[in-house]
Amino acid sequence: MKEVAELLNAMRAAGVISEYALFGAIAQMRYTEPVATLDADVLVAMPSPQGLDVLRPIYEFCAARGFRPEGEAVRIGEWPVQFIPVFSPLTEEALYKAETADFEGVPLRVVGADYLVVIALGVGRAKDLARILELLESASVGRDQVARLAARHGLTEAWRRFEARFFNE
Amino acid sequence: MSDTLKLLERQATWQKCRVALTWAEKVRMAEAVRDSVAQLRRAPPLADSGVSARGHHPTKLPRQGSQT
Repeated sequence: MKEVAELLNAMRAAGVISEYALFGAIAQMRYTEPVATLDADVLVAMPSPQGLDVLRPIYEFCAARGFRPEGEAVRIGEWPVQFIPVFSPLTEEALYKAETADFEGVPLRVVGADYLVVIALGVGRAKDLARILELLESASVGRDQVARLAARHGLTEAWRRFEARFFNE
Repeated sequence: MSDTLKLLERQATWQKCRVALTWAEKVRMAEAVRDSVAQLRRAPPLADSGVSARGHHPTKLPRQGSQT
């Protein structure tokens, strides 16, 4: 993961991406127990996001350094990394408000717990619901905080359903 | 019963220890199990080998497509 962090920082410094932040299971693990995951998910903002092949500059940057595509990801060291362009106002906000963590001496931007919860709420698969429960249990984010953020992004009803299902409210 | 409760307490304590690991250590643990998880997800359902997942009554179910 240190190699991933170094590459992402280099990519941003070179202007290939304007910003990045890890999210998904790897980000979740900052707050919870380790969880099984097959790849690392990275939100990215591109300087010029037009065109059909938005991720092409990223793939070219990686290829020039010997990192090759592997399915829908790029293998960087131990991890297949999936680059996901911001796809909603919520993910864009999550990206720019991400925290800079330290990963073995290398700065690595990571989406915060509150945004991880609300992004998972918006996606809504079984594993996303499990992620929400784990993050809430870790006390890294509170239910009031989630409710406010969900409301700002039109997810009040989804949050209400989640609370009714898992907290009998 | 008390043995079971003690076991559950020990397990809960161990789980809390894992939460307290550094992020880098947790990521290394995820790395260590990733290939095994991928193999398990690629493996055919147990029913394909004629063995029931419940173990008591082996059944042969229709083959299903692989899941991702």
